[in-house]
Amino acid sequence: MFAIHVENLIKTYGRRRVLDGVNLDVRESEFYALMGPNGSGKTTLASIIAAVKTQDSGIVEVYGSKPAQAKEFIGYVPQENFSSPKLSGRENLMYFANLLGHSRKQANHLVDEMLQSVGLSEEADKRVAKYSGGMRKKLEVATAIFPGIKVLILDEPTTGLDPAARRSFFSMIQEIMDRKTSIILITHIGSDAELASRVGLIDSGKMIAEGTPDELKRKHAIEDVITVEMAVKTDSVLTVLKGFSIDERVAESEAGYKIYSRNGDRVLADVVRSLDQAGHKVLRIEMARPSLEDVFFRLTEKHLQEATG
Amino acid sequence: MREISAAYTKTIKELLREKAALFWTIAWPIIWVLIGSFSFTGSAPQEVIPYIKGSIAISMMVFALMIAGMSNLPASIAGDRANGLLAKLKSMPIKAYKDFVGRISAVITLSLLAAALVIVVGIAVGARFTGSGLGIIQAIGFVFLVICASAGVGLMAGTLIKNLQGAIMTGVGIAVITSAISGLFAPYEVLPVPLQIFSRVYPISSAQASIVHLLAGSDMVAYNPLTYGQITLSVALSFLILLVGTVLYSRLGWRLD
Repeated sequence: MFAIHVENLIKTYGRRRVLDGVNLDVRESEFYALMGPNGSGKTTLASIIAAVKTQDSGIVEVYGSKPAQAKEFIGYVPQENFSSPKLSGRENLMYFANLLGHSRKQANHLVDEMLQSVGLSEEADKRVAKYSGGMRKKLEVATAIFPGIKVLILDEPTTGLDPAARRSFFSMIQEIMDRKTSIILITHIGSDAELASRVGLIDSGKMIAEGTPDELKRKHAIEDVITVEMAVKTDSVLTVLKGFSIDERVAESEAGYKIYSRNGDRVLADVVRSLDQAGHKVLRIEMARPSLEDVFFRLTEKHLQEATG
Repeated sequence: MREISAAYTKTIKELLREKAALFWTIAWPIIWVLIGSFSFTGSAPQEVIPYIKGSIAISMMVFALMIAGMSNLPASIAGDRANGLLAKLKSMPIKAYKDFVGRISAVITLSLLAAALVIVVGIAVGARFTGSGLGIIQAIGFVFLVICASAGVGLMAGTLIKNLQGAIMTGVGIAVITSAISGLFAPYEVLPVPLQIFSRVYPISSAQASIVHLLAGSDMVAYNPLTYGQITLSVALSFLILLVGTVLYSRLGWRLD
């Protein structure tokens, strides 16, 4: 049984069809990222799975039940900061623990556990108004991982977070995954989606591609780019570089050469070794891997960030 | 019960920690009790002044109740909708009516706190009240009518107006305008006839007149609000407003589509 099963899902607002026959399956304990620009329908899809909205037609199941009948399994973290800034982190969590029917003693115990698991024990009694964006988002994730939750739905959780806060956030997510919770991450940030085991790309209400990040890059012919900067550009350097497999393309750039390859790791090692053996002095060599944003662009000719802006 | 208690605890803590809510609900009516008690007693006979002050304190207490219900309640609802909390709650296995009961109980608590403080300050600056034990109990009944009608208006504003500031300003606007045109801040006898009719029909001003009649004396009210018909109208309209607000909130307030 899938943790989440979505089949031919359709949702319309007025005349606008925001979800147009979406199919999606998320396995138990899987980390699945749904990536697309604003207006692509990803938040609507997340809200339908979270039982916040209803579909016009199609099937949505969470562990075999309709979302409204599976609410005890669902932990949903909307995009907005819903924690109360006037309450402390502990008070916010106590509110949710009590809403879920836990007794005061149970709630106290659970809240301590939750605070520890998201790394906020020391800040627990501070008002949320004094939290950073990252701390606040961690607290909000804590409201969605009470015992019994099997599916965690995170809607754009890293929007507005700095790189350090994002790293810290995903370390916490990794710990949650260790509890065998299925996670759906809604995002328009490629580097966030890279962390997922599978990624679905959605645009204009339709799933346009799905697979592991590597599969998506391979399937959609996105190449690694190796940039080589030389002390001196000569024909013999070009000869060495062109001596690799015919799959690779080599182009001259202002300070050196660019090699386009679908197997960058191997070619990078070969380039370094060959140039060294031929006695050529390399000033700088680096490899840029393709991103999921590149895959999205290849498929839609839209930039995610521009589309969201 | 735990769900109701959770919603109550959260809402009351938020209200008591919100400086703007405390100012407009408690401090602002108290300021007017102070100003009114020293400025508007005019050339009234000395022996009547304590009861005029009592009447002013009652009017400001009613205004405090109106602000609590019509402004703080919609602020709480619209704020939670705007920040995604209602979406979060809808995804959880909890019932909308329990959240409603918890919220409204918190607003009633703040209302009663504000009412008590306004009356205490009124007494401190010389307000005196008449009335028997039964009269006091009847007056408390009218206080609850004011709370019901104000909460009903607040529920409607919080449900129908999606924008937080819009919901607050609508609630405050209704409270201020209806107070002004129903004679809460001015003697009934100076109102034009259409507004005098409105003052008798509007359950909040009618309840206020009843409380003044019961606690400050019949001389302080230009008409008898304690007739069978007038009381029936006030009770019916107060509960109707609360009922409409409750139905709207339960049906539409949690609908996020």
